This record gives sequence, C-alpha cells and structure tokens, in this order.
Amino acid sequence: MNVRTRTMRLAITAIALPAFLWMVPILWMLSLSLQPNALLQVTTTHTAFGLIPARFTVENYLSLITLSNTPRWFFNSMVVAGLTTIGVICVAAPAGYAFARLEFPGKFILFVVCLVGMMVPEQAIFVPLYTQFATLGWHDTYHGLAVPRIATPVGVFLAYQFMRNLPRDIEDAARIDGISRLRIFISIVLPLMRPALVTLAILTFLYAWNDYLWPLVSTQKSVNYTISVGIASTQSNFAQSEGLGRVMAGGVFASLPVILFYLAFQKHVVRAIALGGSKG
Amino acid sequence: MTKRTSQWLEGFAFLTPFILFYSLFLIYPLFKGLWISLHDWNLLKVALNPEAKEFVGLKNYVRVLWGRDMEWSATQSPLWQGLSLGAAIWAVLVARRSYAGRTTYLFLAFVCTFLAFVLGWAPGEDGRLYNRSFWPAVGNTVVMVGLIVPLIIAISLTLAVVLNHETRWALALRTVFFVSSVLSVTVVTLIWKLMLSPNLGLVAELLTRFGFEPISWLTTHGYATAAVVMATVWWGIGISMILFLAALQEISSEIYDAAKVDDIGPVRTFFSITLPNITHAIVLVAVLGVISHFQIFGQVKLLTDGGPVKSTESLVFLIYDTGFRDNNLGRATAMATALLVIISVFSILQLLLIRRQRA
Repeated sequence: MNVRTRTMRLAITAIALPAFLWMVPILWMLSLSLQPNALLQVTTTHTAFGLIPARFTVENYLSLITLSNTPRWFFNSMVVAGLTTIGVICVAAPAGYAFARLEFPGKFILFVVCLVGMMVPEQAIFVPLYTQFATLGWHDTYHGLAVPRIATPVGVFLAYQFMRNLPRDIEDAARIDGISRLRIFISIVLPLMRPALVTLAILTFLYAWNDYLWPLVSTQKSVNYTISVGIASTQSNFAQSEGLGRVMAGGVFASLPVILFYLAFQKHVVRAIALGGSKG
Repeated sequence: MTKRTSQWLEGFAFLTPFILFYSLFLIYPLFKGLWISLHDWNLLKVALNPEAKEFVGLKNYVRVLWGRDMEWSATQSPLWQGLSLGAAIWAVLVARRSYAGRTTYLFLAFVCTFLAFVLGWAPGEDGRLYNRSFWPAVGNTVVMVGLIVPLIIAISLTLAVVLNHETRWALALRTVFFVSSVLSVTVVTLIWKLMLSPNLGLVAELLTRFGFEPISWLTTHGYATAAVVMATVWWGIGISMILFLAALQEISSEIYDAAKVDDIGPVRTFFSITLPNITHAIVLVAVLGVISHFQIFGQVKLLTDGGPVKSTESLVFLIYDTGFRDNNLGRATAMATALLVIISVFSILQLLLIRRQRA
C-alpha cells in the first residue's frame, strides 16, 4: 500500500465520527417520532441522548395519518411538484432545442432576455406575483403554486447546454430526407435528450417539493398547504403542540420521499448540481 | 412565404410555451413590482378597491434608503456634490481620449454623477440619516452571509478533498454529508429548533452533562444569529461539496503521480497542487453562495422570527414582513428592487467568472 492510499484511509477514518455527528439531527428526529408523547414530555434524551427509542411506538404516525391534515398536505405537494416538473419539461425541452439548433431572426435578443431572467430571484418578485395571482383568483390552487417555477428559465438553459453538445448528424440526415422539424423533434431529439430531461425533472421535483416562500404566501386555507408549509405551521410551539412525537413524525413524513428519491437517483442529482453550478 | 418568415415561424413555434410563461409570470411581475414600488399601495385597501392606491413617485425608495422626510436640492452639500460632479466630468474627458478602458471610465462617470445626485438628499425635521429597519436588515444579512459562506466553503472543501476517490466508503460518506441538503427548510428548522431548545434540546443536554449552563439560543442576542448560521451550514454544504468534487476530478492525475514520484507529502500536495487548480471553483462557489444565502428567509422566519429585537431580521424577511404583515406593498417592492440590484451585481460577477473559465 502506498503513502497516498494510506493517508486517504486515515482521513476517511477521521471523518467517520463527524459524519455520524452530521447525521445526529436526522436520527434524533426519527427516534423521537417513534417514542410515546407521555415520555417525551418528561425527557427527550432518555437513552443514548434520545437517539435510541426508550419505548417504541408507531402511535404518532397512526394519529398523523388518521387525525391530521398531513396526508392531504402530502398529496398537495405531490400534485404541485408533479405539475411543476411536467410544466418545466414541456417548456424547457422545445425552447432548449430552438435555442441550440434553429436559426431565426431575433434569436440572439431572446436569448439575452432569457439570460437576464436567470438573475431574477423568486424573492424579488413574489410580492407583485401575489397581487397578480390575487387578481386572477389563482391563490389556493395547484396551478397557482406550480406556475411561477415553470416560468424560470433555468431549465431552458440546462436543455440548451445539453443540446449544444449533442452531435447533429442524425438530425441533418433526417432533414435531407425531408422530415419535418416537429417529427425530428419528437422522434429524434427527445429520445436523445432523455438523460438531460430526467436530470432536470429530478432537480425540479426536489426544489418544488421543498419550496417554502411561495406556498406560504399563496396558500391561505390549511387544507391547501403543501407539506413544507404544513410542517412549518405545526412547529410554532413545541410545549403545547399536539405532541412532540407527532410533530417529529410529520417531519419524517415530509422528508422521507425526498431522501428516498435522492438515494434512488443520486447520480442524476449530483450531475444536475454540477451542471447547474457552471450554468450560463 | 419567404424562407425568413418560415424560419421565424418555426423558431417561435418551439419557443411559444416558454415565451408565454416567461413573459406572463416573470417579466410581467418584474415590471409590475417596479410599478407598485412607485405607489402608496396598501394590500388590503387595494384588494377591496383597486383605485385606493396613490402615485408617489420615488418616495418609497427615499424612505427605504434614508428613512422619513428627506428633501432634495441641487446644492445640499455643494462641496461634495461639486467634487463628485467634477470627477464625473474628468472621467468623461479621459474616456473620450482613450480607447482602452473606455467603458470603465464611462461607468465611473455614471457612478460619480449618481453620487452627486444622492448627496443632494438631506434629512428633514426628523434628522434621520438612514432607514432604521432597512439598513440593519441589510447589515444582518451581510453578517449572516459573511459567516455562512466561508464556513460552508471551508467544510465542504475539506470534505471534497478527503472524499475525492471512488471507494465504497468515500461514496457512502458523500451521501451522508449530502442528505441534509435535500431536506426542506421547514424540516431543517423543525429539527434545529428542537435541538437548540433550552429545556428539551440535545445541545442543552450535552452542555449540562459537561457542566455548562444551557443557553436559550433562539432568544439570546448573538446566539440567535449563530443558530441561524449553524442550521444553514448544516443544510447547505452538500451542493458546494459536489461542485468542489467536480472541480477536483478535472485535475489530471498525472500531476499527482509526479508529486508521488518526487515524494511530496499530502499537505504540500494540497497547497501546491490542489488549491491552485481549484481557485476558480472556490470563487465560483463563493459567488453562488452569496447569491443564494443573501435571500435567506425560511430559517429566519421559522427559527427566530427575526428576533430577538430584530437582530436576525434578514432582507427577504423584512420584505415579507413589510408586505404581508404591515400590508405596505409599495415599500416592500421598493426593498425587493434593492435586493434585485444587490443580487444582480453578484450574478453578473458569476457570468464573468464562467466566461473567463471558458476562455
């Protein structure tokens, strides 16, 4: 074994403890959600700082599912994140293709305008969006939650960048054979773009699921909350809330899908972030 | 139909969905925000009666930046105004003569003219020189960003260097350090609020076992900022770690092999080979971090609600509060414009950096 591998081994061993500590907050939440509320009112750090359930129960999850709005919020988030993802793909794929492959007057200006839009953060326009959607009567609706994220040009850029690096031989051959642009787009370009679109879809879903500011502003009735806003509304006061265990179970309920989603699509998520970081 | 028109039609057919969404729900609200910021616009009153707004020009901006009754006159502080106007004229003259750096001088001239204009404002009867909610909020945000970004860079860079190889352990540990990043801000704050709670929290329990007094983190000045920073760092390192890993993988392994042949130790390898090769990535991550953390909102709203005594109030939190608690949309959108300007500076910096990397 050479020196380099040995130092690497050493470094990894040294980092194992911080890694465990890094996970402690999540493990603690999981452990608390599995303990009875009567015990949690006395102590939250019973066995091994509370990391191992002192008394095990699933009562928190049962009451969460049967008695609270949480399943409804979960469903709302699924619909909103799903709608956003589909919307982003439908908008970004053809636009990215047009910017990368077609030549038409005004393209450059449009592209620059699109570039400018990348710099506008949601936080800078959520107030006018609020009044706009109030006029349209779109608050407390699914499309009202999904639309602002569909309008951001980040997805268009990812699609454009990916498209630009693809070889265009097949498309050119199809053009010579007299096949229409639309047919080329649907039967040649889309299948080629699939990896990029999958990546974009996963990233969009994650961000839409975790979104907080816009759903907070746009939803007024409790039944219309997304899971993110819903969980926030239960954490105002731990002492007198519906039971600490249940609040924590809500947190687990909200995170489990994204964690599983991430573990399943880890490669895509990592690639999307690496790509997005050097966007432009 | 000419070839040009058909090309045009084709291009726009593919772009229609994008242009539609983009112009209706991004460009339009952007301009509507500017429009609202020129009005005295109460959320509730205007919702009941659309006519209940009043055009006030730049008053909201004046109030956001300087406080209350500011008065402008062309000769408010003649010396300073004269000096900056003089500097502007000098810059224009230099720009006329030189070719290289012309844009820089013209930009300088613009800034100086603007400064001369700004110096024309003076406090009225109130004697206030600056707005006492806006500037402290900007200050708080700067402090938080100033703590968060360096901490994130230091931790994620260390992790990336240590975990930069394809063994099973390294991959597993990468996953561990990234998992906190996929949680939503509400779950992150839920966990940290309880972790830091003085009577129920894990941190208080640890402190007591080691013989310290438990701290009421979220309601103590200074500690509240620390709590927000801690939660954000825990939440945010994953993304920078991935960006650093991507940059590290682009360094060719030949350099490392050469270092190994020359028997150079790991510390020196890091400082003489690794660090110089990823300076660019570090700067990029820093700029990206400033952009995203300058918009810090959820952590503040849910952990401290801006307290204690507004010491953790961030800019976006103030915009939200002004708009939806005080119902003062005019003021809120004026602040949003200020946010947009600040973010744009860093976004342009980011674009320039990426360009330089390509070139």
